[in-house]
Amino acid sequence: MLLILIILLPLLGFAYLGLFGKSLKEPQPGILASALTGISFLLVLWGVLSGGASWQIKDWLPGIPFSLLLDHLSGYMGLVVTGIGFLIHVYAIGYMHGDEGFSRFFAYLNFFIAMMMTLVLAGSYPVMFIGWEGVGLASFLLIGFWYTVKKNADSARKAFITNRIGDLGFLLGMALLYGSFGTLSIPELRSAINGSYVLPMGLSLAGLLLFVGAVGKSAQVPLMVWLPDAMAGPTPVSALIHAATMVTAGVYLIARSSFLYVNLQDVSYIIALVGITTAAYGALSALGQWDIKKIVAYSTISQLGYMFLAVGVGAYWIAIFHVMTHAFYKALLFLASGSVIHSLDGEQDIRKMGGLKKYLPRTNLHGLAGALSLAGFPLLAGFWSKDAIITATLNYPFGGTGFYVAGLTVALLTAIYAMRWYALVFLGEYKGEGRPHESPAVMTVPNDVLALGAVFAGLLALPKPLWNLVEPYLAPALAHVEVHEMSLALEWGLITLSAVVALVGLYLGYAAFTRWALPKWYQTFQTWSEKAFYVDLVYNTLIVNPLKELAVLLDWLDKIFDSGYLLLASSSKWLAEQLSWVQAGYVRVYGALMALGLVVLLVWGVLR
Amino acid sequence: MSYYLLLSALLFAIGLYGVLARRTAILIFMSVELMLNSANLALAAFARGSGNLNGQAMALIVIALAAAEVAVGLGIVVAVFRSRQSTAVDDLAEFRG
Amino acid sequence: MSVFDLLMGALLVASALAAVTLKNAIHAGLALVGNFLALAVVYFALEAQFLGWIQIIVYAGAVMVLFLFVIMLLFDAKADVGPNPLPWMRPIAAALAALLFLALAYAYSSLGPIDPLADVKLAGGLPKALGAILYGGWLYPVLLVAVLLFAATVAAVVLVQPQIRKTRIKPQVLERDRELKEVGR
Repeated sequence: MLLILIILLPLLGFAYLGLFGKSLKEPQPGILASALTGISFLLVLWGVLSGGASWQIKDWLPGIPFSLLLDHLSGYMGLVVTGIGFLIHVYAIGYMHGDEGFSRFFAYLNFFIAMMMTLVLAGSYPVMFIGWEGVGLASFLLIGFWYTVKKNADSARKAFITNRIGDLGFLLGMALLYGSFGTLSIPELRSAINGSYVLPMGLSLAGLLLFVGAVGKSAQVPLMVWLPDAMAGPTPVSALIHAATMVTAGVYLIARSSFLYVNLQDVSYIIALVGITTAAYGALSALGQWDIKKIVAYSTISQLGYMFLAVGVGAYWIAIFHVMTHAFYKALLFLASGSVIHSLDGEQDIRKMGGLKKYLPRTNLHGLAGALSLAGFPLLAGFWSKDAIITATLNYPFGGTGFYVAGLTVALLTAIYAMRWYALVFLGEYKGEGRPHESPAVMTVPNDVLALGAVFAGLLALPKPLWNLVEPYLAPALAHVEVHEMSLALEWGLITLSAVVALVGLYLGYAAFTRWALPKWYQTFQTWSEKAFYVDLVYNTLIVNPLKELAVLLDWLDKIFDSGYLLLASSSKWLAEQLSWVQAGYVRVYGALMALGLVVLLVWGVLR
Repeated sequence: MSYYLLLSALLFAIGLYGVLARRTAILIFMSVELMLNSANLALAAFARGSGNLNGQAMALIVIALAAAEVAVGLGIVVAVFRSRQSTAVDDLAEFRG
Repeated sequence: MSVFDLLMGALLVASALAAVTLKNAIHAGLALVGNFLALAVVYFALEAQFLGWIQIIVYAGAVMVLFLFVIMLLFDAKADVGPNPLPWMRPIAAALAALLFLALAYAYSSLGPIDPLADVKLAGGLPKALGAILYGGWLYPVLLVAVLLFAATVAAVVLVQPQIRKTRIKPQVLERDRELKEVGR
């Protein structure tokens, strides 16, 4: 009952705001939506403190119950979703101030929270799929929130269609699992897989297909193209859906299915490869962006790549840990960006910013905390979780060192672009027009909380011999992976190394983008990076345009088929017109026809 | 009794002619009454021919029905006349293909 | 077939023809009264006395009075109803009537002779015998007819209520109808 309430409260908010929101005055819808999300957070907290819960309706589908499950993993994730979600709801009250669709926005946000909690609390894959599709829908609605601009509507469609590819993978993977084990309940599958000596054929394929679903939702290579465009939505949406929660659903799915992936070394290797590729791609693309939100968006792709790298190498708890720290600092970065955009009345080009430190002192601190945490500045949240991931790759038996070096390189790039973002926005001279003004308290206070998280959340899990609260807490819900213990000296040596890398990156980023004249080769790289290495162009040429051509062709064929039916229709219409004189409207004509019918029937009846 | 049966058929046909050829609602009604009566004649003739009273009972019921029909029919005629100042059925030709 | 039968047949056919052809509505109505009275006489001859009396009272009396009353109430009996939009209807009606007569005659002739049932007596069609049947096997139809008569009474009252005037068709609608008719032609 508690579990269904967690989902129902925001869903109720969605229904109420969707139906009657227009009659509420600003900021009532925002307060209502925030309160419901806050209550959901408290309920999750209660559930977590009381040690978990589960709830199910038998015979929801033939043989498949509707089951919800609150264990350590989903409780942890649920706290992140509703907690960060609540802060962003509050922030949005300020950000969406004066927008025509104020109540609609909060209706969608509440719908998103309800669906995300369905996804997180799902005790079986079909239930998770409902949430999976629901958050996709919410994402679609919110990206296209200002749908009167064609670009926004196009971006929404792009996100939705790209996600469809992944969702197909999810569905097929579920079907394969059901075919092999006859159940889709996560605990049952877990014991079935752990209890069987010989794994069924096609399990690798099922794992791979589920991963395809995760790739779509979490914007991994090659389905990453939708996430940068998703920035067309309002900034709180980018923070909540496209940074902190929804896009990490893929990581959550893999972690939830860790009992499966721990047995699939080949698939895990692919996951790790995709993860590190995505991390590198996102970091390289982030370097050349000029849009304040796109830098953060590509950074999100890159950080998600890190998370997949972690689950790929079997470090499931670290991935989930990174989900949380990333949720803090990335939501903070987005909301700080939103605050900047808000104060500049919609300006998003960082070439027209600079020097905002003076005008936006609070936002400046938020941006600094977020950027440093992202860059992995020593002792901040991002530093601990990212370092844990990079270190964990060394334990990976299949080319761990390669992953380590690549991960460290990407960390260097991350520090550079994080500093570039901060330096170009807040340092130097203000290059735009208009007078920037600090955002209201309703926007800065949630950022304060997020900033605290971005700075201190890492303290929950520190390397040995210091305390680590996250790993033992998550351990019962995740698959157990044997880890070769590193010596303390090596481990702390590596930590020092990554701290040095982060500091070097930060310096390089600061120096390169504020002092140095950039060399020629960098200009070329800049162009490539700004266009995200022309992936969109390639996809358009190879896939989208041929499909469009095919659609035109099919439309043409369809018209040929249609013409047959149109001919049928027009001929029957013609026939009807020829016969319509019968319906002359004159009673006497009808009477005469009736009499004729009577005569015919009479004669026929007698003759018969 | 085939003589009276033929007679009733003839009256029925004459009534039909009236229904189709007449142009005012009230005269068409009268022709309909004629047709009903011819049917009653046939029923009475059958009753006589078969020595069975059921035919006459049927005819009585037809008469009662006819009375009801006249009441409603004339009501309609009056209502139509009030709204159109006419009882010509050919004027009631709005419904047509 | 007796002279009486022939006489009555001629009377019936003649009055029926008069009723459907006479231009004057009052004359046509009176011809119909004559037809009904002749039919009542035929009923007496067919051992249907009660039916005959009912025919006189209900038809020749009540129904025809109602008809004549409405005719006189509503319009001048000789009123011209305007040009005939279906001039070809009259020959077609005659042809259809003839066809129907032939079909009916053919149907009757195919029945073969009707054998009188030996053991049932018409008893002159008097109420005593007829009543036993009507309130025996015909009870439900009789009850239903009673309901129908009641409904018809209500309907007639509702139809001629003064409020019906509210549904008077607006002049512009009639105008539009006329235009549509012209376009149709």
